[in-house]
Amino acid sequence: MLRNNLWLPTLWIASVVTGAPAADPPIDFSRDVQPILASKCWNCHGPDPQTREGGLRLDQRSDAEHVLAAEKASASELIRRVRATDPDQKMPPASTKKPLTDAEIKVLESWVEQGAPYAEHWAFRSPVRPIPPAVPADATVRNPIDAFVLAQLPSQQLTPSPAADRTTLIRRLTFDLTGLPPTIAEVDAFLNDSSEYAYEKLVDRLLRSSRYGEHMAVPWLDAARYADTDGYQNDRYRYMHVWRDWVVMALNENKPYDQFIVEQIAGDMLPDATLKQQIATGFCRNHRINSEDGSIPQEWHVENVVDRVDTMGTAILGLTVGCARCHDHKYDPLSAKEYYQLFAYFNNAPEWGIGPNNGNSPPFITVPKSWPDLTPEENIARTPAALELRPARKEAGNGLERPQAGNAQTVMVMHEMETPRPTYFLQRGQFDLPDKSNVLAPAVPAALSGFLDRTPRNRLELAEWLVDPRHPLTARVAVNRMWQQFFGVGLVKTAENFGLQGEPPSHPDLLDWLALELIDSDWNVKAVQKQILMSATYRQSSAVSPAQIAADPDNRWLARGPRFRLHPFALRDTMLASSGLLVEQIGGPPAMPYMPPKIWSSISNNKYKQDQGSQLYRRSIYTFWRRTIPPPNMVNFNSAEREVCVVRKDRTNTPLQALTLMNNITFVEAARCLAERTLQQTADQTDVLVSGFRQLMARQPTPEELRLIQQAYETFYLRYETDDASALQLLSVGEQPRDESLDASRHAALTMTMSMLMNLDEAITKE
Amino acid sequence: MHPVRELQTHLHRRHFFGRVGVGMAALSTLLSGSSAASAASPAKSSRGLADLPHFKPQARRVIYLFQSGGPSQLDLLDYKPHLQQRFGEEVPQSIYPDERKTTMSNAQAAFATTPSLFAFHQRGESGLWFSELLQHTGQLADELCIVNSMHTPAINHDPAITMLQTGSQIPGRPSAGAWLSYGLGNESSELPAFVAMSSRGSGKTGQPLYDRLWGSGFLPSVHQGVKFRNQGAPVLDIYDPPGVDAQTRRAMLDYVRELNERKFQQMGDPEIQTRIAQYELAGRMQASVPELTDFRQESAAVLQAYGPDVKRQGSYAHNCLMARRLAERGVRFIQLFHQGWDQHNALPNQIRKQCKDTDQATAALLKDLKSRGMLEDTLVIWGGEFGRTVYSQGKLTKQNYGRDHHGNCFSVWLAGGGIQGGMTYGKTDDYSVNVVENGMEVHDLNATMLHLMGIDHERLVFPFQGRDFRLTDVHGRVVEEILRVGNS
Repeated sequence: MLRNNLWLPTLWIASVVTGAPAADPPIDFSRDVQPILASKCWNCHGPDPQTREGGLRLDQRSDAEHVLAAEKASASELIRRVRATDPDQKMPPASTKKPLTDAEIKVLESWVEQGAPYAEHWAFRSPVRPIPPAVPADATVRNPIDAFVLAQLPSQQLTPSPAADRTTLIRRLTFDLTGLPPTIAEVDAFLNDSSEYAYEKLVDRLLRSSRYGEHMAVPWLDAARYADTDGYQNDRYRYMHVWRDWVVMALNENKPYDQFIVEQIAGDMLPDATLKQQIATGFCRNHRINSEDGSIPQEWHVENVVDRVDTMGTAILGLTVGCARCHDHKYDPLSAKEYYQLFAYFNNAPEWGIGPNNGNSPPFITVPKSWPDLTPEENIARTPAALELRPARKEAGNGLERPQAGNAQTVMVMHEMETPRPTYFLQRGQFDLPDKSNVLAPAVPAALSGFLDRTPRNRLELAEWLVDPRHPLTARVAVNRMWQQFFGVGLVKTAENFGLQGEPPSHPDLLDWLALELIDSDWNVKAVQKQILMSATYRQSSAVSPAQIAADPDNRWLARGPRFRLHPFALRDTMLASSGLLVEQIGGPPAMPYMPPKIWSSISNNKYKQDQGSQLYRRSIYTFWRRTIPPPNMVNFNSAEREVCVVRKDRTNTPLQALTLMNNITFVEAARCLAERTLQQTADQTDVLVSGFRQLMARQPTPEELRLIQQAYETFYLRYETDDASALQLLSVGEQPRDESLDASRHAALTMTMSMLMNLDEAITKE
Repeated sequence: MHPVRELQTHLHRRHFFGRVGVGMAALSTLLSGSSAASAASPAKSSRGLADLPHFKPQARRVIYLFQSGGPSQLDLLDYKPHLQQRFGEEVPQSIYPDERKTTMSNAQAAFATTPSLFAFHQRGESGLWFSELLQHTGQLADELCIVNSMHTPAINHDPAITMLQTGSQIPGRPSAGAWLSYGLGNESSELPAFVAMSSRGSGKTGQPLYDRLWGSGFLPSVHQGVKFRNQGAPVLDIYDPPGVDAQTRRAMLDYVRELNERKFQQMGDPEIQTRIAQYELAGRMQASVPELTDFRQESAAVLQAYGPDVKRQGSYAHNCLMARRLAERGVRFIQLFHQGWDQHNALPNQIRKQCKDTDQATAALLKDLKSRGMLEDTLVIWGGEFGRTVYSQGKLTKQNYGRDHHGNCFSVWLAGGGIQGGMTYGKTDDYSVNVVENGMEVHDLNATMLHLMGIDHERLVFPFQGRDFRLTDVHGRVVEEILRVGNS
């Protein structure tokens, strides 16, 4: 244990290795040149003919040879223009406000001198299984992941950290796979398991936990913009929790990722589709639906289809396809025409652009009351009722029509109309500027479908294209998101963008290896996750030295284990679990836990009706999600707002978070109940404090920590010893009745002590 | 001495000395916080971007008096005397084509020309026209630039207000205040850079507001506006739970810091230092908010100027005075949202109440700022998300009418912070349906606002999904014609 403030170099297992910097590597087009061209040149000299200047495009070599070719760099027209001092000659022109830096010009010069080679963008080539690199014999390599990681460390002058201790590992694993802390009994059992396979058994146990699906579903719900309201103006109610339950079940059952995707994109079109497969298509219906009076239905119908295309793009392809809605993509090989050909796959549902006054929008189906335990007869896809329109309001002059509303027993799904709705190219992306000169047939982008024999003709074939083993993006994007969830940052940091403007992967071979593990295991998600969790890389200690922080602040090179604050859902669930309040019930309609008074009615026309009893203590995944006013104690900790597809959120550290953890009713009540729980377990004061500490931190407190915690308790006790009224006030926070057999002053002092522990950085951090 | 007390004294002394050692860099992040990604340089976010401001700002802060629902330009600021003779005549299709009407009124049998029921007067030396409903605001005529040529593509509340706040009709972009916080950082060490407040008039219930209107979109969420609540604790969870006094809270914070410091020594993660600083700041916020909200420090004259509602939390007048107090304490972007301007029917009665609720306090705020020398460097903006139709929605009578949404023209005004006072900018046709001169789109207004804050709107960008995004998208013109001479 460290006893003073000094940085002792011997403590830092992953110390910095000294060595001479490597010689300048040859220019790599994808890594070095393409980002410069993409951000500084392609806006006027790229794929979009609408904005192209001087007939020059620099995104393909065949069109750029005349400005590149030269005996030496200075004679090339490209270099001459970027070096020019005459404002009429200078590129990029000053008006773009994007000047090239000297370093960038030097890169371009070296590249031209090396013959100006181009390369196909890495993410658009199908992954090829890489051979794990050789590493020194004494290195800790538990599986190929470690070889890929270790091979990169010397060039970064880093060395790996040793394994974290076992208590840290079980806490890390339990958070990562269930979003909850381990119980003290689980920690002790793991510490006492001397088997060689103790760690692997633990991983397997957690992968089988039904808490796994509830936790792993959260990033997918963010990507799928799942919510309980429609998202515009009055933000009316909808009922999609059956779809949410489908996701939790699919993850718990370890549904192969290809099926997971196919069923959500086109489950309704599968041969002999089951009801569950049909319900999965709710993924395509989770977008917002405008129901504001006065709106123009055709305008908002386009927005709904656009949202489906963009969500598929971000969540499954890792591409910003939405950029091509108004013009050809500025960076990626996706034309505006191709955008509307993707649009055509999702444009054939019998729907209306405006929603009803509360309730699901057609097409929807009724779900049997026995859900999710369906009989074989019940588990058959059904035909949604036809769209019916009625005048929105009776009074004279209101021309709006609304569709019929589905009640809480229904769920929105995808459905194909017999006569396809024609899809047109929309000029500048506007609903009222269609080019009706020709109807667009559905098609997938040419740059991503070279491996296909024929164009996917409908939504089901689109889904099959997405999960084709030769598809360059789907598996890479999926494994990258797994990595991001465990390590905090993906191998491709820009998880939402694998295109030309995205960040290249830190470990390209590892990314491809994992992608092929996923594909070759028949898309076995838990198997790939297990590989990651079994690696020595994952098991490293997350302690870090100043030198390491300076060399790799975001841990991109993985010379240490992950350490970052819990997701807001896991954070609340952890406090509920530690205090014994958590109600472990899977699925069902959303819960309405504590919320600030008048949270809705103060700015909207709705009133929040808080639940009572057990619904207050459900896992956060079940909290009612109102898109326009999401729960503040979740948003304060950077949860996605669920307005649009989100696959990556920043993690901030703000005083509002401190105020929430210290003062919010949910957390104060949890502290009170944790105090009560420990007081009921034991009479011994030290045991009480240690037990509370371990509920949150899993480990034993150090003697020094215990001394401080005891002092804190005594400080609080002095305060409440003579002030029963204040003690009782504190003990009345929240609806859970208190155990009146406990001494109020002691209980109140311990409540403050537990609240103090819940406010420690460690309590809310996976480390 | 009691052994525990002795220990406490000892500890407190140690804390005092120890506090100096709590990384000053971490402390300096304060309210701005730091994202995990910028943990290595935590001080940066509180200062804003290194290259900002791009040039000398005319305004140090913005107070944006947003009038939600779409105030009627025809009844407030866009004077159309000739309409009186056309009372009840059908508005020509050539002026107002059907496709620009919302589906709430597009199926009406008739579109009767509806002049304002209210008299207009010229005010100030500049002689700007104001409706009789704006008695008090009219007193400040010579400070105001009235823009009658605002226009927006949106015709419904949600897309229109989202457009005004974020530069896009479709949700997902950062709000203007979040952009300013991101670009310029935070001047206050106790309060956020961006505060939003809401109020409701005594007229009809308003259009709903949404968190996205002060949200941070794809910017780091530390830049989102902090919503001051219109009843109870102004900031969520700012007050200690019942039964916890300030001393107990302080003791807990001291122990939290002590234990977190030990953790930092063991783990070395700078994020722990940031958290220590954020807890200190939370404590300071808790101490400063009661002082901020205590209007007893204000003179009777000031309170009287804002009107009797000033003492009622959640009123527009209360929020106006709060805006001045926040401005004095270094808050950079203060936005009020006043609901209730959506007057589809019974407009005359509704708008009277609406103006009674807001006109006096608006004028009081401007005078208050001016008397303190703060109007010089405070940009004040008044306006809603669109205007209203010249035709009556529903039945037109001599005493009553309604007006539907209208995006093709509407009126806003600006004052202070580098704005040329006593002028009108832009003209509409005789019906106040279309702009005929000097149109100003939403992006122009935002570009001008950023310009006055010392920002080139084309250079305040954030890379997201492979593209550099701006508040003004790929549009926007700084409207130099409305800037004080010598300021452009």
